[in-house]
Amino acid sequence: MTGGDTVPPKRSHRLWVSLFFLSTAIIGALRISGAINGTTGFILLAIATGSLIIPMRRAGSCASPAMATYNQRVLLSSFGYVLGLGIAVTLWNDYELSRPVVFAISLLPTLPTFGIIWAMARYIADEQDEYLRHRTIMASLVALGFVLAVGIFWGFLEMFELVPHIWAWWVLPVWAIGLGLAQLWQKVRGA
Amino acid sequence: MKNRLKVLRAERDWSQQDLATRLDVSRQSVNAIETGRYDPSLPLAFRIADVFEMAIEEIFLRDE
Repeated sequence: MTGGDTVPPKRSHRLWVSLFFLSTAIIGALRISGAINGTTGFILLAIATGSLIIPMRRAGSCASPAMATYNQRVLLSSFGYVLGLGIAVTLWNDYELSRPVVFAISLLPTLPTFGIIWAMARYIADEQDEYLRHRTIMASLVALGFVLAVGIFWGFLEMFELVPHIWAWWVLPVWAIGLGLAQLWQKVRGA
Repeated sequence: MKNRLKVLRAERDWSQQDLATRLDVSRQSVNAIETGRYDPSLPLAFRIADVFEMAIEEIFLRDE
């Protein structure tokens, strides 16, 4: 069921999304300029994400109940990711940690990203609207192709010492960028 | 695959959202099917036929 449950968009949704991106950009700029340290940056990012999640979600419109649940799960996982990353980096920087503890703190940002992957899988399973499901699967495949292409290309550039080494967790942000680009393309095409 | 969804909807003075509500799908789905960007599954095609009280082949036409 979807059609009857579609909630019309509210004007304030764009405002909350804009506020989120604006606050993220300001925090990033402050961090890059050296005005704040890493820990403060993570705390501010966690506060910004946490405080804007609820109004952003309430103001948003979703094409189906499954999509609303997906958005909620992804937002909560993202908040957990920022929080977990902040705690892990702070502990890593400020303390001499044993290997088991380092293993444990590496799980702090990792597990919420598993939450994002699980949320996507659940969405595809739960979505009752076949067209919306088809659209998401196509966008996911484009994102997968994008991350594979970028990863392979970067890997060879790195092997021939043209670019620096990057950490493997970048696959998720790159996949998310690919997903965003694919969804933007679908929107432009009117799909 | 071509279809007569837009004409049939207009004859009944239904908006895309009206039809979407009757079919229990999103308005985006109706728009995608109507403009030929998405071919519905057989179960959804039967639901569309039921809503318009017509046979599937009276709504969906083969590409020549």
